[in-house]
Amino acid sequence: MSGSGFLLMRRGGSLWGIANSAVAGLERQDGGAYRIAAGAEPALLVADEILGVVPELRVWQSPVTRRFWPEPFRGLSIHGRQPVVVVDPGHPPVALRPQGEDVGETEGRD
Amino acid sequence: MEAFTDAKAWKAGNHLLVRAGGYVCALPLGSVRRVVRALPVHALPGARAELRGLAEFAGEPMPVLDLARLVQAPPGALPAQPVTVVVWAGPPDARSMVGLAADAALEMADVSPGTMVGGGGGLVRGEVGIGGEVVRVLDLEALGREP
Repeated sequence: MSGSGFLLMRRGGSLWGIANSAVAGLERQDGGAYRIAAGAEPALLVADEILGVVPELRVWQSPVTRRFWPEPFRGLSIHGRQPVVVVDPGHPPVALRPQGEDVGETEGRD
Repeated sequence: MEAFTDAKAWKAGNHLLVRAGGYVCALPLGSVRRVVRALPVHALPGARAELRGLAEFAGEPMPVLDLARLVQAPPGALPAQPVTVVVWAGPPDARSMVGLAADAALEMADVSPGTMVGGGGGLVRGEVGIGGEVVRVLDLEALGREP
């Protein structure tokens, strides 16, 4: 499965974006959260809500954010007047990684 | 020093004085883009305490820093930080927009390098005495540099 644009999700009250072309699968869990398989060796990401796919995002670099938030990310963007953290699906920040759960297999969404 | 409330009351100067906790800080006017009511911020899990979160301003994303924590100020009388000062941080050729959550924008003041004492080459360039208060003069270019 692949596509252009960015998949937008909400986690921990913030918005996050990943390249939609990197998304291999998406699964809704019993508790309502989502698991997303993404990246070359699919890494599992978790989200509280999936907002959908936007065709493009303008990405700004933010050295000040990098200085005070020591997590991997590609840059910052805006969607609907809300800031979006654009992340590398192969190296997600801790906030998007499953923690203390059996991550198992994630089914493709096609 | 009274909190600034009336745009007509601004005096000439090369720095904007803002209150952050128990400190008064001077921001170089050329780096100040705007003073606005506190912007809503979205916290980043795992961020250092100085980073309150991310906000939107003029269609762009920007980090919002807690100015009092940044300068290690003691707690002040207005912990709600009702003001966001939008500034340019980093060197001129690679500047980025940053919000500074503060307690109040006070007034403009002239700060000349010759009157400054102390400072260690970091965010606080030095200190000056203005209106009977010790004012920390900030170097906003240092914000965009690695510590």
